[in-house]
Amino acid sequence: MLGYDEVQWFALGISSLDEHRVHAVELSDVTKRFGDFVAVDSLGLTVPDGAVYGFIGPNGSGKTTTLRMIMRIFYPNSGKIRVFGDDVVGKGPSSDRVSYLPEERGLYKTMKVRDILRFYAELKGCRSPGKRIDWWLDRMGLGDWGAKKVEALSKGMAQKVQFISTVIGKPELIILDEPFTGLDPVNADLLRDVILELRREGATVILSTHDMSVAERMCDFVFMIYRGRKVLDGSLDEIRSAYGTDTLRVRIALNGKTLDGLAGVANVSDFGRYQELRVENGADTQAVLAELMRRGRVDHFELAQPSLHDVFVRIAGPESVERNDAID
Amino acid sequence: MRKVMVIAVREYLAAVKSKAFIITILMMPVLMGSGMIAEAFLGDASLDTTDRRIAVVDHSGVLYDELAAAAELRNAIEIYDESSAPAKPKQIAPRFILERVLPAEDVDESYLALSERVRSDELFAFVEIRPDVLESAGDDEQVGVRYFSNAPTYKNVRIWLSNVISASVRQWRFDRSGLDAEKVAWATRETSIDELGLVTRDEATGAIVQAEIVDKIGNVLIPIMLVVLLFMVIMMAAGPLIQSVIEEKMQRISEVLLGCIDPFGWMLGKLLGMVGVSFTIVGVYLGGGLAVAAERGVLDLVPTHLLGWFAAYQVLAVLMYGAVFVGVGAGCSDHREAQTALTPLMVVIMLPMILMESVIREPNSTMATVLSLVPPVTPVLMLARQAVSPGVPMWQPVVGMALVVATTVLCIFAAGRVFRVGVLMQGQGAKFRDMLRWAVKG
Repeated sequence: MLGYDEVQWFALGISSLDEHRVHAVELSDVTKRFGDFVAVDSLGLTVPDGAVYGFIGPNGSGKTTTLRMIMRIFYPNSGKIRVFGDDVVGKGPSSDRVSYLPEERGLYKTMKVRDILRFYAELKGCRSPGKRIDWWLDRMGLGDWGAKKVEALSKGMAQKVQFISTVIGKPELIILDEPFTGLDPVNADLLRDVILELRREGATVILSTHDMSVAERMCDFVFMIYRGRKVLDGSLDEIRSAYGTDTLRVRIALNGKTLDGLAGVANVSDFGRYQELRVENGADTQAVLAELMRRGRVDHFELAQPSLHDVFVRIAGPESVERNDAID
Repeated sequence: MRKVMVIAVREYLAAVKSKAFIITILMMPVLMGSGMIAEAFLGDASLDTTDRRIAVVDHSGVLYDELAAAAELRNAIEIYDESSAPAKPKQIAPRFILERVLPAEDVDESYLALSERVRSDELFAFVEIRPDVLESAGDDEQVGVRYFSNAPTYKNVRIWLSNVISASVRQWRFDRSGLDAEKVAWATRETSIDELGLVTRDEATGAIVQAEIVDKIGNVLIPIMLVVLLFMVIMMAAGPLIQSVIEEKMQRISEVLLGCIDPFGWMLGKLLGMVGVSFTIVGVYLGGGLAVAAERGVLDLVPTHLLGWFAAYQVLAVLMYGAVFVGVGAGCSDHREAQTALTPLMVVIMLPMILMESVIREPNSTMATVLSLVPPVTPVLMLARQAVSPGVPMWQPVVGMALVVATTVLCIFAAGRVFRVGVLMQGQGAKFRDMLRWAVKG
């Protein structure tokens, strides 16, 4: 199994990034400390213009701190941050070209929806945002809610209002921290479509999420931070390739038996309808198949690359944490 | 600066459109005039005309008859409203009904029995006229009359007894000494003094303008009203800032705003919004006050020359206290913490109100002068001193204003630093020393 130290090499020199001349965001050797705690450690990152860039990482790993530094809410202790080529360290507030949807929603409860959208639009430099607000309310299915107070909205509706407030100023870089929280599948699909539309129109999107399936489906590139350090950075195919085809995806009717103690299998993840087995280096997959057939009826057997979820767990799962703690 | 104004406008509208603000601004004059309003609405219900039965134990043997005669006269005339129709006079005070009680041999038992009658509401009070009341030399320790009651807050009976007995004793003494009471009254009458301002010359006509009698309302009441208005403005405009910052922290609005505007600009916007709120309050109350003064023909009593100073003190006080409130709010994590943190601040804000009476009475005392130059209390105390004639030397408000400006800038600067760190902090609130450290080190 690969730990985060072992995949550091992978973070270096992603050739596909070099194809983009203009970079929306560039971080080089950025470190941020809070007292003695190092929240972000020597982080380097390049987000190409026009990409959807996934930020993943366990809670407390440094994702939000990194996003806040890009937004100029925090300044790094050392290193450089450039947004659209401008050095942001030590500068004033974030430019109107950049907009941020934080994980924790921030709406004044007693304000009316249209008023709060006007407020955020004006803060982002829009002078007459009325028509744009109407368009966005209709686009997000909130056309009848403009005159209602925020406190009257459901959680999902408030989430959509917050999203509109993020994009109302036509930002070129949109930073979304867990944008799908609180949305039902229909509204989640709507939001996904809107985000991809914005990307098609030229916006760069940084998408921070704990939902690996969202990252897999939407992101051109995925970046993972763990304990303040970058442990993954690249396209999904590149990340999966780096881990090889060490995963068996199977569907098996076990008839009361378990998958414990399979020879040559390092880890079993049970997803209900199917299971993923991570085989050990040099293990014979045919022997694993034979053992599975002894334990039950095998309906599906596939040699596959690991899912992003599996990669995440390999890096940040309890097993890895124990090992890394021991190394530290 | 445009973003600062966007924040300011939102803060202003959020404040003036809130129910709390509208209710407060409407209720304040109502509360202040509640006495008059209550009297108007309650009318007769505010009057207590229940008979007061008073037992009199007259050891002197000569005063009871005069007391009884005085009571009869009072009950016949003085308890009725003079303006009411003679055919149906309106009673506005209780009757005093006296009951003679002969001195008993066992005084203690007798007074206990009278006390029981008071407790059972048969009597309202009883009074003992000592035997030596006529002869007493006026020694402070020599009490001529003792008044027994279980209603010490009701003073009318005691005052009436004191007046009547004093008059009777005085007359008895005049008679005994052969003095003419009228001549003595004439000889001892106090000489009245008219209190006037100064004579001036009309610059237009060159004519000498006679001094006018000093108007107590113009000299005392109006300065007090002006100062109270300033105090109210500080409370109503700066006070809500602490709650507003906490709401933005608790609702996680702070992070969204920080993505749009820097912390200092955000804080400045909030402060400017509240300056706008303060002008709204002043506009309503001062405008209303001036309209009432004009309607009553006393507009010339309003110290209009102080309105510029008032506006300057108002802006600076709202900015100074508002900045401190914003900083403290940023360091608190919830409303309860904010209430605790507010207590010492409220003492500072209340201080000038506590000191105001003595400052207005002696506006140029050393204490008043020194205190009015201490920036946190300068706006209220200096204004009070300026409002009371003859005013203060010009250097004092100038120096006071300069110190307040410097303190305000310092408060905004320090609060900006505390705000920047504190506003994103969640969980436990900051300690005072943390905030001090943020303010000093940034």
